[in-house]
Amino acid sequence: MSFTITDECNGCGACVKFCPVDAIRGEKQEVHVIHDMLCIECGACGRICPVEAVRDGEGNRCVPVRKSMWEKPVFNHKNCISCTICIDACPVGCLALARLPTAKDPHGYPGLKDEKACIGCGFCASECPTDAITMAVPEIKVKRGAHG
Amino acid sequence: MPDAYMGSILRVDLSGETISEERIPDSIYENYLSGLGLAAYILFKEIPAGADPLGPDNILGFVSGLLTGTGSLFAGRWMVTGKSPLTGGWGDANCGGTFSPAIKRCGYDGIFIRGISENPVYLYVTGEKAELRDASHVWGKDAVEAEKMLVAETGPRSRVALIGEAGEKRSLISGICNDGGRIAARSGLGAVMGSKRLKAVVLNGAKRIPVHDRDAVHKLSGKCGQWVRMQSPLIPGGMMAYLGAFMRFLPVQMALDGMLYKMFLRKWGTGSMNQMSVEMGDAPVKNWLGSHIDFTAKKSAATNPDILKQREIIKYHCYACPLGCGGICSTKGKYARTHKPEYESVIALGGLCMNNDIESIFYLNELLNRAGMDTISAGATVAFAIECYESGVITRHDTGGLELTWGNSTAIVELVRAMIRREGIGDILADGSRKAAERIGGDAKSHAVHAGGQEPGMHDGRDDPGYALHYSVEPTPGRHTIGSFMYYEMFQLWKVIKGLPRIWPLYMKGSKYTANKKKAVMGAACSRFMNVVNGAGLCLFGTFLGAKRIPTFDWINAATGWSRTPEEYMEIGGRIQTVKQLFNIKHGIEPNNFLLTGRATGDPPLVEGANAGRTVDIKGMIRDYWKQFGWDEKTGKPTAESVIRSGIRED
Ligand code: SF4
Ligand code: SF4
Repeated sequence: MSFTITDECNGCGACVKFCPVDAIRGEKQEVHVIHDMLCIECGACGRICPVEAVRDGEGNRCVPVRKSMWEKPVFNHKNCISCTICIDACPVGCLALARLPTAKDPHGYPGLKDEKACIGCGFCASECPTDAITMAVPEIKVKRGAHG
Repeated sequence: MPDAYMGSILRVDLSGETISEERIPDSIYENYLSGLGLAAYILFKEIPAGADPLGPDNILGFVSGLLTGTGSLFAGRWMVTGKSPLTGGWGDANCGGTFSPAIKRCGYDGIFIRGISENPVYLYVTGEKAELRDASHVWGKDAVEAEKMLVAETGPRSRVALIGEAGEKRSLISGICNDGGRIAARSGLGAVMGSKRLKAVVLNGAKRIPVHDRDAVHKLSGKCGQWVRMQSPLIPGGMMAYLGAFMRFLPVQMALDGMLYKMFLRKWGTGSMNQMSVEMGDAPVKNWLGSHIDFTAKKSAATNPDILKQREIIKYHCYACPLGCGGICSTKGKYARTHKPEYESVIALGGLCMNNDIESIFYLNELLNRAGMDTISAGATVAFAIECYESGVITRHDTGGLELTWGNSTAIVELVRAMIRREGIGDILADGSRKAAERIGGDAKSHAVHAGGQEPGMHDGRDDPGYALHYSVEPTPGRHTIGSFMYYEMFQLWKVIKGLPRIWPLYMKGSKYTANKKKAVMGAACSRFMNVVNGAGLCLFGTFLGAKRIPTFDWINAATGWSRTPEEYMEIGGRIQTVKQLFNIKHGIEPNNFLLTGRATGDPPLVEGANAGRTVDIKGMIRDYWKQFGWDEKTGKPTAESVIRSGIRED
C-alpha cells in the first residue's frame, strides 16, 4: 500500500527531494500528492516531513527523524555471499562493492558507497538472503546525539 | 495480487512508435511460469507463420524470470527470444549480469518489441514511463562504449542491453550484450535487434518485487548458499589436464556430482575445463576432426586455468549469484579490462582452430563481446574457413591474402575483424558456417559443422552423446545448455521426482552410444527441467548442485504461494517444450533437418583420440526422445493428442 499525504501538508517540498522514484508531486506552498502506482514504500517522505503530514501504507502517522539519525546498513561480511542482491535492491544506488579482494579471498563485498544518498529504507537488509545486513544509526552520530 | 511475478508486460511497436502496457492473466503464469515460458506463449501466438525474422513482424522479447528478485539465489538470468534468423525457428539466448532484475524493477516480466524504426533508437523505461529516444550518437559504437554513454546520460542505476557492430550489420551470429560485454549470444537475435534499428534497451526502475513468503525463500537460500560456500582444496590448475587424460584411459565412466564441478567453477570458472576437456574428449578439436593427439597438453598449456586466474582482478557475480564463476581480468594491449574468457570461447577460438596463442584468445574474446558476436559460432566459422583453406576450397585470393592455416593466430584475428566489419571474406563468413558454405559453394558444405544452421557448443557428443541428442532435437538446435548425460547426472532429479532413473557412480563407457528408452527419459527430463529453470530465471550452473541442494521447486512455491509438486512443474516444462516445437512447425521447420552434422556424431568415426571408433546412434536416440513427448516419432511433430494432453490451446 502506498504512502499518502494529508492536508496537514504545508507544501515545503522536503519530501520531493528525497523520494527515490519521483512519486510526489505538488506546487510549492500547496498540499502534495503521492502517486500510488509509483510509491515503493521506502518511508523517506515520512522521515523527512517536518509537520507529520505523511501516513504509511497502513494509515499510521509517520514521525520525522533527524537526518543524521537515519538508520544505515551495517554489513557483516562473514555472512555475506557476494550475491549483490542488496546493491540492486537499493532504490537510490548508494551501495557498491566496497571491500575488494585480498590474496586469500578473490570475491568483492558490498558496502555503503554514498552515505549521504542513503535514505535508510532498509530494502537491502530485507532482501539480503543471508541476514548479513542490519540497519543501525551510525555510532558516532549516536554518541554525538547523546551529548546533544 | 501476483506474487513473484509483476503481472504485466510492456509492448513496443517501433513502426508506429507506440508503447503500451498489458496485464497478463494469472492463469498464463500458472501454465507457463514467466521468463522463457511466458515468451514462448506470446511469440507462438503472435508471430505470423512465415514471418521474415529480420522483418517488422518478428517480435523480440526480453524476459526476466519468475524467481528473479525474490531472494532466491542464482535467479539473475534474463533471456531474449524471437524467431531466429539463423535457424528459421524458435530462437532464444540467455545471459546474466544485472539486466534480469532491472526488467522487473520497471514493473514488467517482459518487454516485447515489434516493428522497425526508421532511425536508430533506444528504448528507455523507468517505473513510471517508457519512451523511444534517438540513438544516432551511439550507433556504430561497440557495446561496452555505448553502454557507458547510455548510463552516463540516463543515470548510474540504468541497466542496458544492446547490440554492437555485429548486430547493427545484421550478422546472423550476433547476440545482445549487457554489463560490460556479457552476451546473450546464441540464435542470432542481435541481427533481429539490428534489423529493428533498436540499439539498446535501457532500464531504470526501482519497483519492489512482490514475494509471497520472503522468510521461507530466505531460509531455502541460506541452506543453498552454504552448499555453495563449501570449498575444499583442489589440485593445481595444471593438473586438470592429467585428470582429463586419466578419465580418457578409464574404461568406465564416473558419474559426476555437481559439488565437484561447483568447486571448479568457484575457483576457476568454466575455464577449469579448458585442458581437461581436450584430454578427455569433451572438447572438439580442429573443427571436430582432431583430438588431444593434435592439440596436445603441451599446446593447451597456455589455457591452464591457473594462468587465466593470474589475470583475475576480482570475481564477477551475476545478480543473486553466490558462486561467482566469472572474473574481471586485466589484459595486455588495447583493452585494459575484460570479462574472463569462458570455456566455450577458449575452445572455439582455441583448440577448434588449433590456436594456442592465449593473448589472441583474450583479445578476440573482448573484441567479439564488444562487437556482440557469438564466440562459439564465430570460432566455429573460423575453423570451417581454415578447413576450407587447407583443403583448397578457398584460396589466398579469396581470403584477401590471409594465410588461413591451422593455428595461425595473426590470420585468425584479422579474419574475425573482417567478419565483424563484413569486409571481403569476412562478409561471406559473418552469418555462420552454413550460410558461408552456401555462398562459397562446391565442397564447402562438407566442412561446415552445425545443427539446423547453428554451430554446436564446445562439448563433443562422441564423448557424451547426450549433447549430440540435444543439439539435434531441441527447437533451438546446437545448444549445449539444455541437456547431456553429465547434466542429468548433476541435476540429480531422481532424488525429488518419482519415476526418473537414478545414475550409479560408475558405468561402462561403451553403454553410452546406443539408443534406449532410459536415455530418452533422461533427455526429455533435461529439456523439461531446463524450461522450468529458464522460466524461473535460474542459472544452469546453480542447478548443477543437484536437486537436493538447490531448491528450484520449493523456491517457486515459497515465492508465488503455489503448492505444486516437482512432477507438476516438470509437466509445465513439457508444455513449454511443446509450444516451442509448435512454433517451429508453424514456421515451416522440419525437425529432422536439425540433425547435427555427421562427423560430430562419429559418422564417420575418428580413428584416433579419446573418441576413436565412437559412433552415436543419433537417429535412434531422436526417435525415442520424441516418443517421450508423445510426438510423431518419425517427424518430430507434436500430434494433436499430445497438444491436447499438454493443455495448450491454439487460439
Ligand atoms: S514512501 Fe518513499 S517512494 Fe513512497 S512517496 Fe514516500 S519517499 Fe516516495
Ligand atoms: S544481499 Fe546480503 S549476502 Fe548478498 S551481497 Fe548484499 S550483504 Fe552480501
